[in-house]
Amino acid sequence: MKAGMNTAYTIVAGLVASAVAFWPRRGILARWRQAQELARRTRREDALKHILKSEASGRVATLQSIAGALQITTGNAAGLLEELAAHDLLTFEGGRLRLRPTGREMGLHVVRAHRLWESYLAEQTGVAEDEWHYRAEKQEHLLSPAQTLELAARLGHPTRDPHGDAIPGADGTLEGEQDQSLNGVEPETPVLITHLEDEPETVYRQLMALGLRPGMRAFVIERSTTRIRFWADGNEHVLAPVLAENVSVKPLPEFRPADLVEEEYLSGLKLGERTRVVGLSRACRGPERRRLLDLGFVPGTLVEVDMVSPAGDPTAYRVRGSVVALRREQANLIRVNSGDAEST
Amino acid sequence: MNASDAHSRSPSAETILAATQRWRQQLSGDLHEHIVEAIYSRAARITDRAVSRPGRAARPTFDRTLDRVLTSRLTGFPIMILLFAIMFWITITGANVPSGMIASLLIDQGHPWLRSLFGAAGSPWWLTGLIVDGMYLGTAWVVSVMLPPMAIFFPLFTLLEDFGYLPRVAFNLDRLFKSSGAHGKQAMTTMMGFGCNAAGVVATRIIDSPRERLLAILTNNFALCNGRWPTQILIATVFLGTLVPASLAGLASAAAVTGVALLGVLLTFVVGWALSRTVLKGEVSTFSLELPPYRPPRLWQTLYTSLIDRTLFVLWRAVVFALPAGAVIWLVANVYVGGDSLAGHFIRVADPVGVFLGLNGVILLAYVIAIPANEIVIPTVLMLTVMVTGTQNVGAGAGVMFELDSDDAVRQLLSAGGWTTLTAVNLMLFSLLHNPCSTTLYTIYKETGSAKWTVASALLPLGLGFAVCGLVAWSWRLLS
Repeated sequence: MKAGMNTAYTIVAGLVASAVAFWPRRGILARWRQAQELARRTRREDALKHILKSEASGRVATLQSIAGALQITTGNAAGLLEELAAHDLLTFEGGRLRLRPTGREMGLHVVRAHRLWESYLAEQTGVAEDEWHYRAEKQEHLLSPAQTLELAARLGHPTRDPHGDAIPGADGTLEGEQDQSLNGVEPETPVLITHLEDEPETVYRQLMALGLRPGMRAFVIERSTTRIRFWADGNEHVLAPVLAENVSVKPLPEFRPADLVEEEYLSGLKLGERTRVVGLSRACRGPERRRLLDLGFVPGTLVEVDMVSPAGDPTAYRVRGSVVALRREQANLIRVNSGDAEST
Repeated sequence: MNASDAHSRSPSAETILAATQRWRQQLSGDLHEHIVEAIYSRAARITDRAVSRPGRAARPTFDRTLDRVLTSRLTGFPIMILLFAIMFWITITGANVPSGMIASLLIDQGHPWLRSLFGAAGSPWWLTGLIVDGMYLGTAWVVSVMLPPMAIFFPLFTLLEDFGYLPRVAFNLDRLFKSSGAHGKQAMTTMMGFGCNAAGVVATRIIDSPRERLLAILTNNFALCNGRWPTQILIATVFLGTLVPASLAGLASAAAVTGVALLGVLLTFVVGWALSRTVLKGEVSTFSLELPPYRPPRLWQTLYTSLIDRTLFVLWRAVVFALPAGAVIWLVANVYVGGDSLAGHFIRVADPVGVFLGLNGVILLAYVIAIPANEIVIPTVLMLTVMVTGTQNVGAGAGVMFELDSDDAVRQLLSAGGWTTLTAVNLMLFSLLHNPCSTTLYTIYKETGSAKWTVASALLPLGLGFAVCGLVAWSWRLLS
């Protein structure tokens, strides 16, 4: 009797264990296989993305550059390229890597998914800015083409991601990075920051930490071979040329540096002072931006500092007949004209 | 004119789509921004044409002066503290009389009268027990303890709100709440939570930023609600007040209760800080706080809306849960399985866990079955203690909740039930740190629309409660 019970227990335990291990799609084995499959696909897609991006910006992708971008050995990279060629995703014509149409489409899809996901994180979530790239790097391999289209529709078919990169359309081609870098700008020439290269990540994080964002206006104050001193939306920064190389800009011919310097931030105003709004900083995005616009902080609006909280923050502003309290970080996002300021 | 003719003149769908695509690429920046800007400039043009202003429109000087006083560095905080102290004082002292009246009507007179009515109708003992001793008594208890304070606190609160003072409180305190990742308006919802957590959760609707609102909902339970104050005061008076000389007894127990309430406020900030940096990190967050002009409060309308929208709303939800819970309380004490009541079985199993946490099995069971309202925890504890200890001449029978008139009698009964100073201290802590009542939980579910956040809001304080009680019990044993 007892032996019989033990046998029964052993069988039940064995059944449970094998169910845990071999259950279709949920078992340990199936999950391990899925993870392996995802890792393989990620490597393939990353390689295609690298080749596509190099092509778009006029560089030549090589075995070494692929190994570097994917952080694998050249031997593994060679195996990967062979695998891609076997799937008719690319060819080696005269020793040069060329994408086949299917490979190009796959690469475009990954870039599109990446940039759309970054836009989504920026516009519709509160995820911190320095996590966008990292999260999109994972998500780009999980979204199917259909889901990507759906996401684009939900975001209102954006054309640029939060870093200023063009999002390739459904039919699309990939736009290269044609704007000049901050290194090539003459002093005292107003420019618009169009793009911050998000790779390598360490450099990108440094630029972010300085508060630089696409959409900011800037001009170089002085330039030497070792450093670039420049003004950007109210603050002075110093960058080594190797970092400045990752900041893309385009000229703003209609401005003089003096026009830019005159702009100040709402947080700089004192109690009782009054001025006009010039615009919202580009660092203000998504729901936060829409909220401020809806409250009436649009260009041309008169703003007056009404009162300051006994704790020093927030500050209440009178805007279009109503009184609205904003925190210091928010008032730091609203550009006002200092030349216009007056006391009441 | 035929169809093909018309077709050739109007552009095809592809041409239109291609054109829109082309123009879209040329739009710079955010479309929403352009639209809002256009709407505002258009509206400004229209008002300039249609509205004439005698002189410059400025805020009334009365408003300005009042704002200067209420948000001044010197007077802002003292006025705030004074106003809320007065409000709580009016609520606590004012609620005693009507509470006693309702209790004597519904419990002292209504309960025996209903029993005799059922008896005369020939109802079997179990039916009388289930309906009169269980459902009726549980509900009557909740109503008599809950209704008067809420009927005083909510109108007072609404008057301040209607006058326009509460946004100024949020304005004054925002810096403090910001440090824990919360919104200044949480000052108001926390304050409301001291009246009733369910009402506090509903009040979080004023916070329009999703992350800060969830934060306010999840931490509202740390505001010691009206239903838990009597427990705190009774236990502090009975057990802690007697530890010091009689002249200091009142002071000591008041300090203990205030300490627990302040611990709740502290935890609101600590837990908020932790949540906003972990699970709530990805939620959308925008800050804005409008400071409306002051208005003379509309007294009757305020009374009406606060009684209907807040008091009766919360009371109704509480009654809906109190009816079945009253039945459960009676049943666990009266249904016997294998020679002992269900309550007896539960208490025997839970007692080791309870004692380990510095509590006991009776308290754990009371918190399980008295989930509809914190108000009935103490009556349930007393009833269960009588049942477990087999004390004679006290109480009204198995499953019938009661209260004792004298503090001494409470101490004797609870000491017989094995209570020590540690049990009292931990009960006070556990009363602050346990799952919200079912009314509040249901309200959280309604407000967030998410079972996940509802479960989180129940488990978070409960886990904290077990941890804190366990820690206190452990160090207590270490020191003594």
